[in-house]
Amino acid sequence: MKTTVPIIIAFCSGFIMIITFFLNPERGFIGRLEPEVLNWVTIVGGFTLLLGVVSIVRINYGAIKRKSENRGYKLATLIAVFAMAIPAMLPTGMSPLLGTQPGSIYDWLFNNLDAPMMSTMFAMLAFYIASAAFRAFRARNTEATLLLTTAVLVMLWRIPMGEIFLNSIHHSLPGMINTYVMSGANMAVQRGIIIGAALGAAAMSLRILLGIERTYMGK
Amino acid sequence: MILAYGLLIIAGIVLLYLAFKTGDRRYIYLAVAFYVIFPVLITLNLPAEISPEVRQLYEAVDSLPDSSVVLLTFDYYPSTLAETEPMSRAALHHLFRKNCRIFTMTTIPLGGPSIAERVTRELAGQYGKVYGVDYVNLGYKANYVAVLKGMGSSIESIYPADNTGTSLDKLPIMKDIRNYGDVDFIFAVSDNSIIDYWMSIVNAQYGIKIGTGVTAVMAPRYYAYLSSGQMTGMLGGMKGAADYEKLVGKPALAAKGMAAQSLVHLFIILSVIAGNLIFFIEKRSRRREGHR
Repeated sequence: MKTTVPIIIAFCSGFIMIITFFLNPERGFIGRLEPEVLNWVTIVGGFTLLLGVVSIVRINYGAIKRKSENRGYKLATLIAVFAMAIPAMLPTGMSPLLGTQPGSIYDWLFNNLDAPMMSTMFAMLAFYIASAAFRAFRARNTEATLLLTTAVLVMLWRIPMGEIFLNSIHHSLPGMINTYVMSGANMAVQRGIIIGAALGAAAMSLRILLGIERTYMGK
Repeated sequence: MILAYGLLIIAGIVLLYLAFKTGDRRYIYLAVAFYVIFPVLITLNLPAEISPEVRQLYEAVDSLPDSSVVLLTFDYYPSTLAETEPMSRAALHHLFRKNCRIFTMTTIPLGGPSIAERVTRELAGQYGKVYGVDYVNLGYKANYVAVLKGMGSSIESIYPADNTGTSLDKLPIMKDIRNYGDVDFIFAVSDNSIIDYWMSIVNAQYGIKIGTGVTAVMAPRYYAYLSSGQMTGMLGGMKGAADYEKLVGKPALAAKGMAAQSLVHLFIILSVIAGNLIFFIEKRSRRREGHR
């Protein structure tokens, strides 16, 4: 039962979407089912967010209770979750500070704490990349040399100072990088990756619809 | 100013040498910090050619008739604001100036609706646009594939209310917008692979023209869509945003950031060259010692 019901649901949902895509039966029974299925998917998606919150609370609360190492960080995580979530969920009618509109507690926390912290974490990559460029990017073989040369050319092409430098070597060099590197070799490889990934996704979807692939059920 | 920038580059070379001599990577971090902070304090405007894909997007938006319906997405996390927010701002300047009817949405729960709210309200104020009449923020709904597909049948079934909880039937702007059939153009600004779904679901299945703004790291992937004509222009990273700002005539955050990006890119290139020179010199001396 635990396996059969999810397989039936997966098959029926997928079957409806495939039929509506290929046959486009706008007014038929299947056609009317399509928006219903999509609405259900967004509703289930909402519940997965709730599941994420429950999971984070359970894991972190358990660690704090056991007085495990780094429990201070786990407490900070829990405080952050509730400080953001509770004022955001309460109705704006109670107070203009509640809800998610501009001027609310959630909005203030997001713009003044969350966004700067996330931007800072991401910006630190620049420091690590510069350090790694000096210590690790080595032209050890032909492939690595090709990669390094291409990377240097593209990095120069993407900045005004580099563009001036490339133009000083030959006026058509920036255009050639665009044509042969980005719209040439890069595009051919990316196209291959995109088509390969799409074929893989189609095969995996078919396996799920037919009940062959069961890893999504934790099997 | 050129002298100051020249001195800064020399300082970077000295710091790189110190990093090599002492093996302390903090010298490299210090050089990067200089290169990021200095251009913000002393702005250097460098001439740059407009990328063809940016011009294509600008011309596509510019050729839209007045009052066209445009969907602008804020599909990005706060971590990439430096690259993506200037794109959204430049797009809004262009769209508001053309009196387009704009509805915004996001597939990112963490901050997407707040960023959309903050940016659109700020710029709408500059152009005297009214919420609910000229623009609306639909906010976030879970499960993006279902959201993108479902909006093809009915936007109202996916978003019964806007981000503030107002029912869509109370908003004048949404009266004539029922599904993708009523949308003239989609301007998707994103820092993740949602662009693939915009292309494969919305462009391929509903035939809507889509222009994108993506981070520099993502841009190479989407040349395939540009070349096939499925994507109508693209802003790639800060350079794309700076180009669009220039075309719109509102040079701002991205234009300012290009000097910092230029210096950091040059420093990274210099680091790669220096690191490889040291590697080859050491390799050669090891080989000579081996022969002895």
